[in-house]
Amino acid sequence: MNVVVCVKQIPDPVAPGALDPGTNTLNRSGKLIMDDSDNYGVEMALQLAGGEGDEVTLVSMAPGGETSGLRTGLAMGAAKAILISDEALAGSDALGTAKVLAAAIARANPDLIVMATESTDGYTGTLPVQVAELMGLPSVTFAKAISIEGSTIKVERQTEAGFDEVVCPMPAVVTVTAGVVEPRYPSFKGIMAAKSKPVENLTVADLGLDASQVGSAGSGQEITDVSESEARGSGEIVVDEGDGAQRVVAFLEQLKVI
Amino acid sequence: MDFAFSDEQDELRQAVRRVLAAECPVAALRTFDAAAPEQRTTLARARWAVLAELGAPGILVSEPEGGLGLGDVDLVGVFEEAGWAALPEPLMETAGLAAPTLAALLPAPMAAAALHALIEGPATFAVGGIDVTESGPTSPTTVSADGLLCTPRVLGARDATIFLLACQDPDSGWQLHAVPATSCVVEATPALSSTRDMAVVHWPLSADTLLAYGVAAEAVITLLADRAAAGSAAFLIGLADRMITLAADYAKERQQFGRPIGSFQAVKHLLANARVKLEFARPATYRAAWSLATAQPSASHDASMAKAMASDAADLAARTALQVHGAIGYTWECNLHFFMKQTWALTRAWGDAGTHRRLVLPQASRL
Repeated sequence: MNVVVCVKQIPDPVAPGALDPGTNTLNRSGKLIMDDSDNYGVEMALQLAGGEGDEVTLVSMAPGGETSGLRTGLAMGAAKAILISDEALAGSDALGTAKVLAAAIARANPDLIVMATESTDGYTGTLPVQVAELMGLPSVTFAKAISIEGSTIKVERQTEAGFDEVVCPMPAVVTVTAGVVEPRYPSFKGIMAAKSKPVENLTVADLGLDASQVGSAGSGQEITDVSESEARGSGEIVVDEGDGAQRVVAFLEQLKVI
Repeated sequence: MDFAFSDEQDELRQAVRRVLAAECPVAALRTFDAAAPEQRTTLARARWAVLAELGAPGILVSEPEGGLGLGDVDLVGVFEEAGWAALPEPLMETAGLAAPTLAALLPAPMAAAALHALIEGPATFAVGGIDVTESGPTSPTTVSADGLLCTPRVLGARDATIFLLACQDPDSGWQLHAVPATSCVVEATPALSSTRDMAVVHWPLSADTLLAYGVAAEAVITLLADRAAAGSAAFLIGLADRMITLAADYAKERQQFGRPIGSFQAVKHLLANARVKLEFARPATYRAAWSLATAQPSASHDASMAKAMASDAADLAARTALQVHGAIGYTWECNLHFFMKQTWALTRAWGDAGTHRRLVLPQASRL
């Protein structure tokens, strides 16, 4: 089985993020790391594709030919990676990114495509279903467990009340929620081996896409202004004068929690 | 010439940082410290299993023997990170001392069996019976009235599965043994660091456990002492870095006279001096790792330089961190003590700074 995992390489959340003052987009010029939420997708894919002849391929779109984040996924055990890096992609919106990823994923001819529910730097959460739509594939979101049964997958789909059991033909796009599996640590052997694993570098032209469809040129959105988020209020301190419990209950009722 | 670490070496170091941030945060050290003996063993084994899964014990062992075939330069960053986390488990003793010593003694059956246990896991090693003095390694191992050998000051003895123990006889010279923990009597003694136990180990002298003796054992033990000095230096560099970071963070947070105390020159200079001493000890530590990896004739000298400089740097870092923290630094609730106590123990283990300075003196005075 051939599983593709889409991996986003993001600026290290430990370092303070910065916006490009010209475009109001996130500055991605420094070293990038694999988005933490993708650990779960890679782990899930490695577990599903653990048989002989099975293979996990990572697909990522990042500026500057950046592979640092991909190396983490390769060190965990993925076999190879496809990286799309092109100056024409700067300023892409979610749909533009989906077009690029869909074209790149198609080259790997996968049986299953695994993605995180959303990235931790953008949080649009729309990309996986856009990729599925562009590729004409079914999509199942919020998977907390995936099993393969012949040419179909069975997914436990997280809901507010519990979970749905969804059966879906392959190939399909599945998004996994954080915490569903325990991501493995890349072993030292994996880290040393990651360097020699193949990373295919592609441009927009290699994918047969028109540069006007992607990047800021093809983006249907423009960030016109950015403002500081409102500082969080200091909250209300309630002094317990014998009525503390009632006041907590009243507060929770006001929030409609109870 | 490029002195920088390779991308892979940086990756290994970062991988250990990530793993230990999850498996050995200060909260875990507190839990470990407060746990009952059986629970401590369970916690130690669980953490060791993660390190074994990473491949840490076999870093220096060749690939045909089941290891990673890497060298001391790859290992030095791993040790630094273990020091940064004040890891309680015997990573240096197992990966840095036992593994290369046993691999060098192959194909001797006893060494092969112990190395197999190390690679296949989850064997952890404690090393004892070697004191580094200014006249070279000597053994504190003595013979008890009951006929057993008695080795004092063995670190990490409680959870070790195999002991690498040395003894010295005036007539026949050195012997090095790999003794299963099941054959030993471990008598716990008070330890400086609450996260690292210490014991007197009573063990039977037997031909079945003998790894090397005489001249061969002497060469092995000399190299083992050099590795211990260099490995301890790397741990101390990590510990010093952590203590300076803790103190600097505290200095930015703690307010006095309406300003963070870190804004006062008297505090800044303390921290800067500690940092300067650390950054001077760091290249000496890397040099020792390179000299060991490439079997340089200067390896002993370089290991001693590293241990002397790293011990002094870590000692200053501990004192500075304690002073910058003020009274809170002395308390149990402050995290600093976990790192200070390991530092105090490690600066004295495998020869203190003074001993190593005296060891390099003959070479230095020839210059």
